[in-house]
Amino acid sequence: MSPEDRGARDDDLDAEIQSHLDMAAKERMARGESPEDAQAGARKEFGNVGIVKEVTRDMWGSGGVEQIWRELKYATRSLLRSPGFAAVAVITLALGIGANTAIFSVVNSVLLRPLAYPHPGELVLITSQFPTLGFDQFPVDAAEFLEFKERNHSFSNVGAYYASAVNVGAATNPARVPAALASASLFQTLGVSPEAGRWFTDQETLPNAPHVALLSDELWRSSFGGESSIVGQKVDIDGVQTQVVGIMPPGFDVHDQGVRLWLPLTLDPDSVNSYRGGHYLNLVGRLKPGISLATARVQLEPMLAQWTQIDGGTPNAAPGQKGFVHTPNVKTHRLRYDDLLTDIVGSAGRALWVLQAAVFLVLLIACANLANLLLMRAETKHKELVLRAALGAGRGRLARQFLAESLVLSVAGAALGLLVARWGLHALVLSGNAGIPRATRVGLDGHVLVYTLALALGTGILFGLAPMLRLNPRAMSLSLREAGSRTTAHASAARVRRGLVVAEMALAVTLLVGAGLLLRSFEKLTRVDSGFDRSQLVTFNIVLPAATYADSLRRVRFFEQLDEQLQQVPGVQSAAAMSGLPPRRQVDANDTRFEGYVAKPGIPPQNVDYYNYVTPNYFSTMRIPMVEGRSFGPVDGAASPPVVIVNQTLARLFYPGQSAIGHRLQPSGIADTAKWYTIIGVAKDVKQGGVDAKTGTELYMLGNQSPTYLGYAPRNMNLVVRSTLASDVLSPSIRRAVASLDPALPIVGLRSMDEVFEDSLARPRFLAQLLIIFAAVALALAAVGTYGVLAYSVAERRREIGIRMALGASEGGVLTLVLRQGMVLAVIGLVVGLGGALAVTRVVRSLLFGVEPTDPVTFAAVGLFMLGVALVACVVPARRATRVDPLVALRMD
Amino acid sequence: MAKRHAPLTRIELLQGTLDLIILQSLRWGPRHGYGLLQIIRTMSNGVLQVDTGSLYPALHRLERQEWIEASWEQSENNQRVRVYRLTAAGRKQLAVERSKWEQFSTAIAGIFAAPPAEEV
Repeated sequence: MSPEDRGARDDDLDAEIQSHLDMAAKERMARGESPEDAQAGARKEFGNVGIVKEVTRDMWGSGGVEQIWRELKYATRSLLRSPGFAAVAVITLALGIGANTAIFSVVNSVLLRPLAYPHPGELVLITSQFPTLGFDQFPVDAAEFLEFKERNHSFSNVGAYYASAVNVGAATNPARVPAALASASLFQTLGVSPEAGRWFTDQETLPNAPHVALLSDELWRSSFGGESSIVGQKVDIDGVQTQVVGIMPPGFDVHDQGVRLWLPLTLDPDSVNSYRGGHYLNLVGRLKPGISLATARVQLEPMLAQWTQIDGGTPNAAPGQKGFVHTPNVKTHRLRYDDLLTDIVGSAGRALWVLQAAVFLVLLIACANLANLLLMRAETKHKELVLRAALGAGRGRLARQFLAESLVLSVAGAALGLLVARWGLHALVLSGNAGIPRATRVGLDGHVLVYTLALALGTGILFGLAPMLRLNPRAMSLSLREAGSRTTAHASAARVRRGLVVAEMALAVTLLVGAGLLLRSFEKLTRVDSGFDRSQLVTFNIVLPAATYADSLRRVRFFEQLDEQLQQVPGVQSAAAMSGLPPRRQVDANDTRFEGYVAKPGIPPQNVDYYNYVTPNYFSTMRIPMVEGRSFGPVDGAASPPVVIVNQTLARLFYPGQSAIGHRLQPSGIADTAKWYTIIGVAKDVKQGGVDAKTGTELYMLGNQSPTYLGYAPRNMNLVVRSTLASDVLSPSIRRAVASLDPALPIVGLRSMDEVFEDSLARPRFLAQLLIIFAAVALALAAVGTYGVLAYSVAERRREIGIRMALGASEGGVLTLVLRQGMVLAVIGLVVGLGGALAVTRVVRSLLFGVEPTDPVTFAAVGLFMLGVALVACVVPARRATRVDPLVALRMD
Repeated sequence: MAKRHAPLTRIELLQGTLDLIILQSLRWGPRHGYGLLQIIRTMSNGVLQVDTGSLYPALHRLERQEWIEASWEQSENNQRVRVYRLTAAGRKQLAVERSKWEQFSTAIAGIFAAPPAEEV
């Protein structure tokens, strides 16, 4: 039936009923009634015209879409008649659905969206493990890469890369660009063709090959104006004229590194085997079609077992023993295979799922609240419902009406929620780095919209079901007989309402405990002693191009001069340079010989986590105290005997029960085995790997001694400047100081050390902040829910309370009566919630720092806080109850 | 409350009998809704009371089943009324309903009239 037909039939029905009323009135007038009485009487006899019409219309048959449309229109009209209720419901839903949509768009982009390569499920990250050194995921050596690529039968191709940064562009104003040095096979493995030009050839990855580079689409547009003529031209990269051979398509990257420039990874197959200790490559393999990761792991195990023998070693030889060859083996140097996407996401996955679960709980609580609101609304409409049912409106019909109402609410809520989500995502993006991988392309896409629609329908059905409890046939017939008086059906609805409040409280408590645990973790993280005074420190990074600073003495001289220049800047107290910047240092794991070392169980292998090349005033600038011995001084020059300072952890591990001072050791890469470095001091531990990581062993060497003894000096140094001035105030003077030495050097990452540390805590902060917001919303909703149910119950029991007061009950007595009713619910909710929290907080264990998932302080604090909030929510209706006027209450119907 | 009916004389309609009553009442000619209410009341001597809330939905349902059809006509006091009349299908249906009803009432009557055989 078309809407026009339906409109005509509606008019017909109106006319038909009007004629009925007219005839009835005429007959009454004929019996002598006045026209007014006659009309009123006819109407009264007829009954509720609206309902009769409605039930009659139902007989016209299910008009499909039109019927649903009519139902929705009716629901909308009915909701608009109670705008307060509708507004509260829609806003609650908008916040709940909006928050869910926002978090889901992050989950969708980060966790669910496949990597942007063909057949991304076949891609595997291949890394190594050193079980005896305690390294679970470590890069792979160049020889190992070439051998693996050749020997394995599980991967169709394997590529290698390592991330770096290079200076690109004009000699006076170069830009520092994230780069990767990649094997030619990496591009074949990833299977993405350049949008212009070509990949590297295998020849271009051999030593002394011409210098070539591939640009990312992003760099091509930002630095080269998107001119396709750039392909074939030469650009300045780290001071070397390098030919651009191609441009990769937009978004092409590896392992979410933000690579903007690709350079060939130079490997000499003839010489890589001479030194097998340089583990710096990440491998990406593409599984052969039909081979799963699990199958590959099994297939690759025999290869690992035979590796040492192929390379001429003894399988069981330990490091340092005869027959030991530094190749992968089953015991000390395993290979590890991870799905590429899983590895990129890493621990962020759990954090995001926790957030998604939390925000879903908030929505559930919102639904419970709305269910309660609808139940109370149904209560007030109860007589109308009974009448409709009696007139033959089926339960299905009534249920449809309720569902239509809740769906109108939830869809309106979802529409508004999308705006909330957009705004929320905008805020998330504005908050900048949240420490989440793949977060750059977070947005609302088709998947997210489907999710939101599903949420809207799901929530609509969920809370729309509540009033149907009032529609069970027994309740209906009882109500009909007893004319809507207080019945068992009524009591059952009250039970449902109380149950919903308990559930809300329990969910809110569980969320609060989770949020509390993460907040305490975050607080503990910020209180970790980083080992140095990070206030009033400004840091920045400089990389000297290999081409122009080939001589290591020149590198040392540059940083010494820069130190001097910086000391002279007004407001600067001291300045120093260091190769490693806390708190995000990757472990170097350098083989290091300790004089008199005896390999014994319980004694760690001869390996040091961090080497740090520093300038002499490093310790005074960083304010790292010496625990024992002395710091570097003027006596330690380039020509004087080599000295080293170790950290407390190294001293404890290698020199237990004795002083480390005076002992000697040999850093890796030393040419002359007769040269020993003497330990002159033990410095306080610095959290190089981050405040949440265990402190590693560390060596400090003087940069100016390393060319003499190691034949090497780092090109990549971090400078620290201690000053009372802010980083943005210092910035121009720092830039001038650097430019006065070499105008071609870009300055990178200039900011305060406090910011650097804050950044390293971005993810825990992000997680704790969002969870606290969600928990607060959950608690507020639960409190409002408790208040609502209690207030309703007080209004309902006014008569009873009035009688009690008339019989002499004190105000205190009434107050206690209502308070007890509310607080019993709160306590049940609290107990259930704490129990639930005990059961589920285990899943956040890996996100916690220094706090147990069962932390009694958090549980107790949440309990007290929640009881406090519940008490406030109960006191208001309770006080209202005490103001009931017995006379007024008793006079009510 | 207005006293409309003496409770003792009022009998609630058995489920499904309203259709039979309407079809049967239309056998003697077309009628509008109000007229049907009156005729049912008169024929049952005021015992059967049909609600407007039941009558109109039933009329529209029967119309949809094409057992009755409706048209707008002028009444004797010159009023536009919607008048229902039996269709051929309606007549057939009436026969079916009637025979069902007769079987039913015979059966009930039988139960009441049967001698108490087992009783001693």
